[in-house]
Amino acid sequence: MTADRNVAAHNHTHEHAHEIEPVPGEIVRVSCVRHSYDDGTSVHLCGLDFVATRGQRIAVLGPNGAGKTTMLYHILGLLRAQEGIVRVFGVDPSEEWPAIRKRIGVVLQNVDEQILAPTVADDVGFSPRQYGLSEAEVALRVDRALALMGIEELRDRVPHNLSGGEKRKVAMAGALVMEPELLVLDEPFEGLDPAARTMMGKLLRELAAGGTTVVMSTHDIDSVPEMADYAYVMGPDGHIALSGTPAEVFSSADILAAGNIRPPVLAELFMRLRQSDPDAPEPALGVAEAAEALLKWRG
Amino acid sequence: MSHIHIPDGVLPLWLWGAGWLLTLALVVIAGKVAERHEMRRKVPLLGVIAALMLVAMSSEIVPLAYHINLTVVGGILLGPVLSVIVAFIVQVVLALLGHGGVTVIGLNTLITGAEMVLGWALFHMLVSMLSRRRAGLAAGIATVLTLALTTTMLVGIVWLGGSGATGRETGALDPADLKFENPFATGVFSVGLFSGGEEHADETDPAADEHAQEPTLSVGRFAAVVYTLGPLGWLIEALVTAGIVGYVARVRPTLILSGALAEKQRRIPGDEAGGL
Amino acid sequence: MHIGAVDQAATLGTSWLHRSWPIAKLVAFALVLAAAMVTWNLLVLLGIVVLLSAAIVSSRVKPGLAFTLAAYPAFFAAVFALASAPDVLSGFVIVLKALAAGLAAVTVALTTPYPQIFAPVQRVVPGIVGDALLMTYRSTFLLLDKFANLMTAVRLRSGVSVGQPVRAARATTQALGGLLLYSFDLSQRDYDIMRVRGYQDRLRVAVHPSTSRAADAVLVATTLAALATSLLWRIAADSLNPYSWLVPIPALFALLAALVSSRRKS
Repeated sequence: MTADRNVAAHNHTHEHAHEIEPVPGEIVRVSCVRHSYDDGTSVHLCGLDFVATRGQRIAVLGPNGAGKTTMLYHILGLLRAQEGIVRVFGVDPSEEWPAIRKRIGVVLQNVDEQILAPTVADDVGFSPRQYGLSEAEVALRVDRALALMGIEELRDRVPHNLSGGEKRKVAMAGALVMEPELLVLDEPFEGLDPAARTMMGKLLRELAAGGTTVVMSTHDIDSVPEMADYAYVMGPDGHIALSGTPAEVFSSADILAAGNIRPPVLAELFMRLRQSDPDAPEPALGVAEAAEALLKWRG
Repeated sequence: MSHIHIPDGVLPLWLWGAGWLLTLALVVIAGKVAERHEMRRKVPLLGVIAALMLVAMSSEIVPLAYHINLTVVGGILLGPVLSVIVAFIVQVVLALLGHGGVTVIGLNTLITGAEMVLGWALFHMLVSMLSRRRAGLAAGIATVLTLALTTTMLVGIVWLGGSGATGRETGALDPADLKFENPFATGVFSVGLFSGGEEHADETDPAADEHAQEPTLSVGRFAAVVYTLGPLGWLIEALVTAGIVGYVARVRPTLILSGALAEKQRRIPGDEAGGL
Repeated sequence: MHIGAVDQAATLGTSWLHRSWPIAKLVAFALVLAAAMVTWNLLVLLGIVVLLSAAIVSSRVKPGLAFTLAAYPAFFAAVFALASAPDVLSGFVIVLKALAAGLAAVTVALTTPYPQIFAPVQRVVPGIVGDALLMTYRSTFLLLDKFANLMTAVRLRSGVSVGQPVRAARATTQALGGLLLYSFDLSQRDYDIMRVRGYQDRLRVAVHPSTSRAADAVLVATTLAALATSLLWRIAADSLNPYSWLVPIPALFALLAALVSSRRKS
């Protein structure tokens, strides 16, 4: 099966919103959204529709300035689409944010700006407290979130003094404290050491297995095969050029190159092998699978 | 500094109490006006502008050990209503960190708020006279005028508070007759604590006249000091303000020329309901 | 601005003062402030200053930090006194009043996390004012860091030094201009974050409960006694002034006890 490729065919506009039926389990849909900034630049998130369903882990890839963060902001209702459709839990998030906000957890790229309280425990408890939960319930949820992220020992620390990786874990705990159905992450692996990255990957896998949908934008290409079930690739001008499983996406060398995206190291290795020898094995994106494939090929 | 903060304990209760009452009234009114106009989304902006002013006050212009306040810059960005709120916040935080008086938060807020509001008004008036391209110059001139006016306000406050406070009335110790009596030798109850005292000064005693004419705070000397040192501070503040406003007017003119309520800013959809 | 050190001291301390109810501390603060404002008696003021020093020592915060912070209002008071005090004694009284008020404020600031100080205030002022008060503290941290980074970049790129005041002033001004733009964008991002994390009509902060009613009672009673003493020495100044030397003595004992106790614990 090849990845979907489209540049112009799926051009939905706002007038046709009512014609787009949600797919089963659909949590998020972004369809041909246009947004213009004050400085005159604009982003046109067209091409393929972006769809996230229940329990999926989706990576959004693209060069700097492609519009990844703009798309995430539309999903969070922080921007209103001038054209196109944005649907989260069946509603327009920019119009009906209060109806859906408790179901969404967010970690944005700059975690320093995300931390709002003087201690880690206070910060993780920010959301439940704002939603009016009792102090007992807040304490319970905070304990659970800290345990989930493995940062109980940071409970009474001042977030300002933590390392970048620790702050990211605190921000993640703050996003998970309300047990969201949708998790939106902007560069979730930035500042994390390999052990923390592995831990985060395992956590996202468990969350997805429990039905949480994860949408993340990332530059960390090498992590994508392990961290995501599905990937969307945005071109430099914002249009969604490619979607599919990581294996499908990383086999489309020409589209990746046009988007200035380097495929994962293993994908690149197998591509070069196949260029020299058509009998070389199909790309394997995991280390264990790659070793097995190479050994089999070697005979 | 561009103005002297009045320390605690110098001014009479009626004066700093009135300052507090007036400030609280203005802050409550400003808060209600802001909420009525759905400025809830401005809460972080108030926080960062107040923080910016606090950061500016902590940064020294080398090598004079002088700190600026950015009150006029803050006023230009926020407009009059939000300026009142930020002036109050800045004074409260300064008092908490030991940088300003506590009882005089009200009066200091009135001075800071006046600087911000006057600065805003004078800036817009001067820009309309001088043109937008001279925004930096307009801001500089507005700063000098504003600080001159608020310094006069400060002198006025000290003048209001400087009269009527004498040593005898305020229970001050007079070193001329400082003594260390033993309450157990003379007997506590015989001291006259409850009887009105044995040691009232004789009203025909010439020394009593002297005490009755004890000098008060020297408003004249205070005014001489602030008007001598003040202009240097006004000039520095004006230069810095002109520099900052000129820079921002080139890079992001809507911020300076339309203020924080410029329509072009990104509005968060859904906030129009006044808090969700 | 020692805001980082203040925040650290307030959040991480474990002394009896840190554990006291924030509202009891605010009440005590108001009482001791009133005591300092009411009196013009040098020895009574000295007693108040010594009492506050005892509180600081017993809270086990760094005395250097506390007294440095309180020295600021004392310094400015000295300038004010030089400019306007009628005589030397009045000048000293002006300085001591400012010092006492400053010590009282920093005692609260160093033993109470910022949101705990303003959560009670937030309930009585308009929502936007209370919320902005709470946001200011956090924003100050971010801007101080950003400003420090900007100044480092400016110094590295422009090579300014103490011997070049005009250049240094120009560089600082440019850095402040950049900081202003950053601040404005930061405020927008702050609102985004607050909104997605649940902020609606008011920032909700939980006030820490009292951990020891006895400690709270001692705190309030002591400061009430300080106010009573100030009032007494003011009302009956003629009779009581000769006995003013007695007032600092209990405070000195308290300070001694605090010093001994802190030595023992360290």
